Amino acid sequence: MKKTMSDYELIEKFVKGDQSCFEELIHRHKNKVYAYISLYIRDQALVEDLFQDTFLKVIQSVKSGKYYDNGKFISWVMRIAHNLIIDHFRRIKQLNTVSNDDYESDLFNSKKLAEANVEDHLIKRQIQKDIRKLISQLPDDQREVVILRHYSGLSFKEIADITDVSINTALGRMRYALINMRKMMEEKKISLTFN
Amino acid sequence: MGLKSTPFLSYDEILVDEIDIYEDAWGFNSEFSDVINLLNLVVTPVPEKRLTERLIERVRQQD
Repeated sequence: MKKTMSDYELIEKFVKGDQSCFEELIHRHKNKVYAYISLYIRDQALVEDLFQDTFLKVIQSVKSGKYYDNGKFISWVMRIAHNLIIDHFRRIKQLNTVSNDDYESDLFNSKKLAEANVEDHLIKRQIQKDIRKLISQLPDDQREVVILRHYSGLSFKEIADITDVSINTALGRMRYALINMRKMMEEKKISLTFN
Repeated sequence: MGLKSTPFLSYDEILVDEIDIYEDAWGFNSEFSDVINLLNLVVTPVPEKRLTERLIERVRQQD
């Protein structure tokens, strides 16, 4: 049986010149990184830029010897993505061009939706928009845990590493996030009206 | 004696691939199933194939 190489083994081989190893790392982690950025950024083109910039920055750091393995490669990559998102918001704030538009769901162009009829599509779209809005209204630390756990699929141990808190704190934030979301759902009378 | 004992399971034999044991211990899925079902309605965004290909191309050019 072929043994799967660890992230660090792939990095070591990449540093020694095996380009395909970094490509393997991209395939392994791309969905987590992309989902994380997508849930924060509305502009699709910008999501794609930040997604690419994250991995290119990882390469720069790895090649300049700034990555030391402690078994937390994905946590480190997600932290880089997080910092790029923060940099983006800082730049926007400086330019004073923050948009107050609601979150638009540019992301929901899946095949499933394409097959649904227009009315279903619109209802789904509205529900997804509402849910994204609820998520966006959570306090930053709670929103981050929801996105990392629910959409990037990271474990609470990994989330604790990324956010630099204990596992219990990460779990506590998730609990508060879910309580807050339930409260908001009740206030706004949002329920599971479409399956 | 006719006694039947429960066979021992080692930790490795318990399937936990899709389960976060901390989350499981805190019981989020049972206590907040309504909220989690709602979160599930948002399609998890995934990068399009062309985006991944473009990234890999850029990675190759860096060499």
